[in-house]
Amino acid sequence: MAKKRERLEVIRDILKSIRENRKIKPTRLLYASNLSPQMFKDYVDELLNKKFVKLESDSKGKKTFSILEKGNEFLEEYKTIENFVENFGL
Amino acid sequence: MDLYSFIIQNKEVFKLVYALIVILACFLIVLKTHKLFKISLHRGIRYFRNAFFFYGIAFAIRYSFSFFLSFDQSFSEYSFFLNILFGYFLIMAGFVLLYSLLWRKIDSGKKEFSSLMNSKMLIFYLLALIIVVLDYLWGGYYFMFFSQILVFIFATIISYSNYRKNKGKVYFPQFYFIAMVLSLFAWALNALAGLYFHWNQIVMINIYLFNMVFFLLFLYGVVRATRI
Repeated sequence: MAKKRERLEVIRDILKSIRENRKIKPTRLLYASNLSPQMFKDYVDELLNKKFVKLESDSKGKKTFSILEKGNEFLEEYKTIENFVENFGL
Repeated sequence: MDLYSFIIQNKEVFKLVYALIVILACFLIVLKTHKLFKISLHRGIRYFRNAFFFYGIAFAIRYSFSFFLSFDQSFSEYSFFLNILFGYFLIMAGFVLLYSLLWRKIDSGKKEFSSLMNSKMLIFYLLALIIVVLDYLWGGYYFMFFSQILVFIFATIISYSNYRKNKGKVYFPQFYFIAMVLSLFAWALNALAGLYFHWNQIVMINIYLFNMVFFLLFLYGVVRATRI
């Protein structure tokens, strides 16, 4: 059985999926995230509130996620964050 | 003249240097971990940051008061109040540092708006207040000493367990464990200094040295781990 992902890993995986696709539809992101719909919603709500990502609608009403600057910063610093948490046992 | 005699003869200067080192270390730790928290929103990092925020406030209060007292003795009428504040923030720092190691097992997962005003922190605030009030009523610091000895016994055990789990994988857990042991010694010595050694100056100097190493170890760990 796959090891349960830590919160930081889940956020990293979601942000990576969004960044790799530049714009990604919610359903596709849900499948890519490998989360239950409820957990997916919780994570995405948090990322939206904290302005890591944004959700846009086009003229046809189709919604897509794209990454914001803070989200990019997280991905760049992920190793540092992970390293810090492991070193200090947090 | 040996080192201890030299320090005792110049104690005001050394107290100031000690305070500046500790306050600066806390400031830098808070600054670097705050940046990391802003990026990650990791709760453990948040509590860790808060612990050193409280340490910084405690030492800033204590030593700015001593500094002003050396110029104007009328400040001595505020001494009991400022000593209570010092003790309060020191106790809070210990509680929050321990909590930064335990939060995964205790936190409900419910998002909290503020890391300084939530149900767990309110318990710590209340406990710290009870401890300082008891110390004030008993005319000593023994409740603070014994509460912190307990805190650092648990922190030492947890940090040793983290060290064993991560041996060879990451570098800092061994230093974290050493820092916890030093702090435990410092608090135990503090209690002994009051109970048996009549606040002997040589014992107190050793306590200050342990404390300084504690803060410098954490600063080293934070600087090395963050490099931001």
